[in-house]
Amino acid sequence: MPIYLDYNAGAPLRPEARQAIAAFVGGGQANPASVHRAGQSARRSLEHARAQLAGLIGVEPRQLIFTSGGTESNNLAIFGTANALIGRRKIISSAIEHSSILGPLARLQARGFEIVRIAPDRDGRIPCERILRALDEGTALVTLGLANSEVGTIQDLRPVSVAIRDVGAMFHIDAAQALGRIPVSAGALGCDLMTLSGHKLGAPAGIGALYVSDRAKLVASTLGGPQEGGFRAGTPNLLGLIAFGAVAAAVASRLDEENSHMAALGERLLQALVRSIPGLALNGPVEGRIPNTLNLTFPGVLGESLLIALDLDGVEVSMGSACAAGAVEPSHVLLAMGRNPAQARSSLRLSLGWATTEAEIDRAAEIIARVWRRVAAAEPTTDGTLSRQAPS
Amino acid sequence: MSARVVVAMSGGVDSSVAAAILREQGYDVVGIAMRLAPQETNGSRARQACCSYEDFEDARRVAERMDFPFYVVDLRAEFDARVIDNFVDEYLAGRTPNPCVMCNREIKFARLWHRARSLGADFVATGHYARVERGGEGRFHLLRAADFTKDQSYFLFALTQAELARTLFPLGRITKTEVRARARALGLVNADKPESQEICFVPGDYAQFVAARADPNRVKAGQIVDSEGRVLAEHDGIHQFTVGQRRGLGVAAGEPLYVRAIDPERGQVTVGRREELAARGLRASQVSLVDERLAGAGDRQIEVKIRYRHPAVPATLRMLARDRAEVRFVTDGYPAVTPGQVCVFYDRDEVLGGGFIERALEA
Repeated sequence: MPIYLDYNAGAPLRPEARQAIAAFVGGGQANPASVHRAGQSARRSLEHARAQLAGLIGVEPRQLIFTSGGTESNNLAIFGTANALIGRRKIISSAIEHSSILGPLARLQARGFEIVRIAPDRDGRIPCERILRALDEGTALVTLGLANSEVGTIQDLRPVSVAIRDVGAMFHIDAAQALGRIPVSAGALGCDLMTLSGHKLGAPAGIGALYVSDRAKLVASTLGGPQEGGFRAGTPNLLGLIAFGAVAAAVASRLDEENSHMAALGERLLQALVRSIPGLALNGPVEGRIPNTLNLTFPGVLGESLLIALDLDGVEVSMGSACAAGAVEPSHVLLAMGRNPAQARSSLRLSLGWATTEAEIDRAAEIIARVWRRVAAAEPTTDGTLSRQAPS
Repeated sequence: MSARVVVAMSGGVDSSVAAAILREQGYDVVGIAMRLAPQETNGSRARQACCSYEDFEDARRVAERMDFPFYVVDLRAEFDARVIDNFVDEYLAGRTPNPCVMCNREIKFARLWHRARSLGADFVATGHYARVERGGEGRFHLLRAADFTKDQSYFLFALTQAELARTLFPLGRITKTEVRARARALGLVNADKPESQEICFVPGDYAQFVAARADPNRVKAGQIVDSEGRVLAEHDGIHQFTVGQRRGLGVAAGEPLYVRAIDPERGQVTVGRREELAARGLRASQVSLVDERLAGAGDRQIEVKIRYRHPAVPATLRMLARDRAEVRFVTDGYPAVTPGQVCVFYDRDEVLGGGFIERALEA
């Protein structure tokens, strides 16, 4: 069995998700909007799942909209706010956000919005004072990730929420990567909108949610029926959300235990690799990182080669983001954090999760060190070709 | 454990069948598609000669069907620096480049090998129609393919002994017809996919591509003159011309005129009648020999091919230096010796080596 260390891309289904899916598949499949009793039963399942997920982030169930995933939630939060707060033309974000934030922002910029993309420090932290300095009465939205998917840096966002509220702007937090890795409370963070994703947590892909505070103003993008409070028309993904709810309940009951386990395993892997790979560098802070995520610069190799070689030897990791054809691109997050293109091209992300075992970590550490030595010997990167950036 | 081979897969039928054959022979096959050409990723669906999403998906489906791992690797920076830049530079210098030869020499059998070795591979393989044979004393021979109509040994002349030793050409002994039949029998999705013909990174007109990439200060405009130096027309860049070209000269004359020479210093394009093109031989640079022991052996009777689609003709080869050679045609008047193009030396079926044409020896 290959060792899976790519939980930040998608976690294997948790047993609770499997059970929920099996129960759903065994039952009928009515539309929760239908009046008959089968429809009412479906609606109960829907609302039960909504309550389970709401419990995980400490909000009212009615404040959650189910979506098709983190990408849709981010699009809805950004376009929905931009279209609701007429006259406000500024959006504040950062240079290290997920493509589903960067994409909508680029579109709004083309429509004339002013987009402020705050640069992180070398560890991927967004300085709060930079956010506060950019904030003004023309600001519609501040949109930031809580934990970065590529390097794991956790942002301290509590200090900015009051100031955002004071200027009348909306505060959106993308918690897709943080959920299940650290305690996440929408209330404590003081945000108006929060993106949640199922498949990073062990629910299937294709289900996500957006928390919408009572204060938030949002114009729907998908129009049609009255589902999800009118914010998102269309019959919801009942199969996915039932699994998402079950997973949320399971995670809520053992978050601390799981996270201390993941932190111990992450540290064990890092220490083993540091011992066997001279010059290995961790990208992201030592403290203040989601403990499952290790972004590492491997000296003297192309990350792309190491990634493929590791896959052939049974360790599944990732690098930056993949293009449509499946080739990997250097991470925009690492570039924004001040790494040069060659360093970014030599970096891989290892992310652990709920099913990772100590035996897997020890075996992975041994395989990674061995494969790194082979790749480093095979492929010199000192000929200068790497410093030249290809157009993407 | 069986030997691991990295197969360069384009998504076409040839490289797919090459991979399938090796898989059937028991090799530990790893399919690699190389992302080479710069491309639009703005959501448009412009036609792409290669490296398109669809091509890579075809290769991926073949890998799934034949049950071996497949990856896409990004070699755009290397391809840009070593193939496309060279292509543009050559045209701007009044020469006619052969990017496929450069790609083989610089990318497929050099950079790809580094990648292959990092994956623990013992060999690289491609879907080229050519043969490699191991002779006495452990020397390797590069030979024409069994399918003469598809033979691609011309593009491979620059392979060294070390490269030949680690290279497999599974299609060297079968015909294109057999390749398609194998693909159909194996149920490969691309069994009837048409051949790619054009230069993979030039979507349309090559002169437009060169002009778009070149620094405008390097585009050399000038005059079109006849053999007596009479000015026939003006042109806005020598990169639009190839020695031997007849069409599209923008010159009206009573008889067909051909480009005889391009003078990059003056930006002058000389045209003439077909018989004025005749050459009795050529000088070649960057010459490499498949077996270096051939060097310095005095005059040698060979056959030479000066364009891929031209037949090989009898000639005499003389090495002038380690990497320079003179080739004299046995029969005078071989037309259109084009600087920048590749000349390849054959002894019957065997590739002895080749080089890049510097200039014609005039008749």
